[in-house]
Amino acid sequence: MLPMREDQFWSLVSLKLSGEASADELATLDRMLEEQPELAAQLEPIGEWWAHAAPTGSRLKKGALHRHIQRLNQSEHLPSRGHRGRRFFLLLIGIAASLAGFAFFIYHYQSISKKSAPSAAVAQNTVSTKPGSKSKIQLPDGSQVWLNADSRLVYSESFNGQAREVQLCGEAYFDVVKDHRHPFIIHTNTIDVLVLGTTLNVRSYSNEKITEAALIHGSVEVSLRSDPAKKILLKPNDKLVVQNGSNLLLAGSKTVRSHPDTTARVLGLRKVHFPARDSTAVEVLWVKNKLAFDQESLEAVASKIERWFNVKVNITHEALKQTEYSGVFEDETLPQVMEALRLTGNFRYSIRKREVTIRP
Amino acid sequence: MKAYKRLYELLSEGLYRFSYSMVRSAEVAEEIVSDVFIKVWQMRSKLAEIDNLRVYLFTIARNFSLNYLARNADSRVIGLESLDSATPVEGNSPADLCISADLANQMRRIVQQLPPQCRMIFQLVREEGLRYKEVAAILDISPYTVRNQLSIAIQKIGEAPLLKELRQKMV
Repeated sequence: MLPMREDQFWSLVSLKLSGEASADELATLDRMLEEQPELAAQLEPIGEWWAHAAPTGSRLKKGALHRHIQRLNQSEHLPSRGHRGRRFFLLLIGIAASLAGFAFFIYHYQSISKKSAPSAAVAQNTVSTKPGSKSKIQLPDGSQVWLNADSRLVYSESFNGQAREVQLCGEAYFDVVKDHRHPFIIHTNTIDVLVLGTTLNVRSYSNEKITEAALIHGSVEVSLRSDPAKKILLKPNDKLVVQNGSNLLLAGSKTVRSHPDTTARVLGLRKVHFPARDSTAVEVLWVKNKLAFDQESLEAVASKIERWFNVKVNITHEALKQTEYSGVFEDETLPQVMEALRLTGNFRYSIRKREVTIRP
Repeated sequence: MKAYKRLYELLSEGLYRFSYSMVRSAEVAEEIVSDVFIKVWQMRSKLAEIDNLRVYLFTIARNFSLNYLARNADSRVIGLESLDSATPVEGNSPADLCISADLANQMRRIVQQLPPQCRMIFQLVREEGLRYKEVAAILDISPYTVRNQLSIAIQKIGEAPLLKELRQKMV
């Protein structure tokens, strides 16, 4: 690249990241990326980091609010609680909305796809990830959600109803802020999960056979959408596994339907699994950017690999699909992962462009 | 009072980071943020008339910080935290990021080594989500300067060694 174009390139990138780019500037950048697609690969981590990395500066020590109020009391003689709160309250709504809006706004500028985001009818925010990438979101109440590849989360812009509700299609790890007055509800096609301050992992891909909810801390109540009266209470390290109904497997879109999956049934209540060398449950290792298999069939492994690396995996012989694999990978490339699996398994494989073929 | 506290919770971190980047002392920065919010309380009946509250508060924080620096030019206490430590402060999330920790650290280090005004502009745009015009108003510089400085910062980040490696992995 000529030096002058490099300056121009980074200028356009910074305009895009900060949300200040004009339509022309965005178009110019897109054109540059088309001519040199390897640049897009470099931009994606920058975009991720820009949107989701922790602040780089120093942080306020705990108790700052308390200390401040004491100083305020000393310098002012505060009147008893009156109606003055209202003025602040209105300001608060304005500021909170603009801050929440900012996180969402920046996220949409990260996706390199050319689709523009239409706004939904009912002030809903949608965050989705493509295969091969993950994302982290902060919800209006401060709860954090890590979204795994090929997943979609929908939530209303201002969590100010009776309950805090989100819809999930895919896999996400939730760290929910405690608020007893406003229950937090996760809707998937198969189950609804009710939580109060807790951390848990929910996995519900429409093209997989099972839906799982694994509880790490706190307590949650799960109900099947096919049988809402029956409620299952989970304690820490419990994992509920539900078999998705047959009509669910046929579709494959990324929406949570309003007609619930009526043929789902509970497969079992198991325990969350902790592998030997890690204090993190296997179900949640993806949040730490580790690809993990826990005695999973090659078919399930292939599915995870497809999402993680954004490739297509074909297994030529049915017999191969049932062998089970375990392992944890961090930073390995696709060829390295395939090679490691091959060494312990009974197959051969070939990788061509974005397709992996597994054969006996 | 509850809403006032919530306002503090929403805005104090950003104001603190900003003030800290100038005064380089945790205690002083916290006190400046507190002073800003005392002023907010004193002005509460007129707050609705302010066009852009965040810009207003950041500007006050900047003024207070500059006042402090001017008053204490001779005998500034440099907090120990201002010395760059080898391991950067981690966020309190189970997963630092959805990219490798090494790459995140490289990028963070590059930011910390940016020239002071460049870094301040970068942090105000990225971490506080302020627009170029707002940053320009707060820092009393031109929006073009903001735009150029940000571009320089991102170019430097883009030149992180691991990013170039990543490009090869993807191909």
